[in-house]
Amino acid sequence: MEQLIEDLTRGNVTEVKVVLATVILALAVYQVLLAAVAYGWLRLPFLGSHSASWTHRASGDAILILTVVVAVMCISFYGFEEGGAHAVVACVLLGLLATKVLAVRFGGRLGRLLPIVGASVLLAFAITWLTSAGDFLGVSG
Amino acid sequence: MKRPPQAIQILGSVLFAAVIVAVAIVVVTAHFGPTSSAELEAREERLEQRMELREEALERREELEEERRR
Repeated sequence: MEQLIEDLTRGNVTEVKVVLATVILALAVYQVLLAAVAYGWLRLPFLGSHSASWTHRASGDAILILTVVVAVMCISFYGFEEGGAHAVVACVLLGLLATKVLAVRFGGRLGRLLPIVGASVLLAFAITWLTSAGDFLGVSG
Repeated sequence: MKRPPQAIQILGSVLFAAVIVAVAIVVVTAHFGPTSSAELEAREERLEQRMELREEALERREELEEERRR
């Protein structure tokens, strides 16, 4: 697996991971904007709640796939041992993502918690990015 | 202001997401600079060529100096 990842990224594993993580974070911020429009908290003259909701789901699916790809790259290439805070927050993030997917698919009581779970997912994405990609890019000091 | 048709709204919001992705990729890769393996290898090759040229020039100088002494 390690060799496959190295071959696919042509030896630039960290760089590819940083780019993908940044794309995920940027899309996650956009997701919050779309969710605000979908819930009617933010009214835009050119975007209705149904369209915002559709794009939110499509973009969310893309984020989920990219997150799994980055997680697989991270775990199989770097492992858990040297992860520290990044590994812990990333595990929390994956748990939150799983909760959000379940809430979307099955609704019920969990459906009411969607805005809180969504905000927590964004926060977890931000911390996970800061402790890896942000660190690499020199953003987190 | 009247909203555009739903298909246009969806297309616009998806295109905006694509623009966000493109901007994120451009900004991060610009931050990296030339770090790809291919570029680094090319850089190493150029460095080696320069070193070889310098060594050759040095050898020629030494040879010329030796000839002058004779």
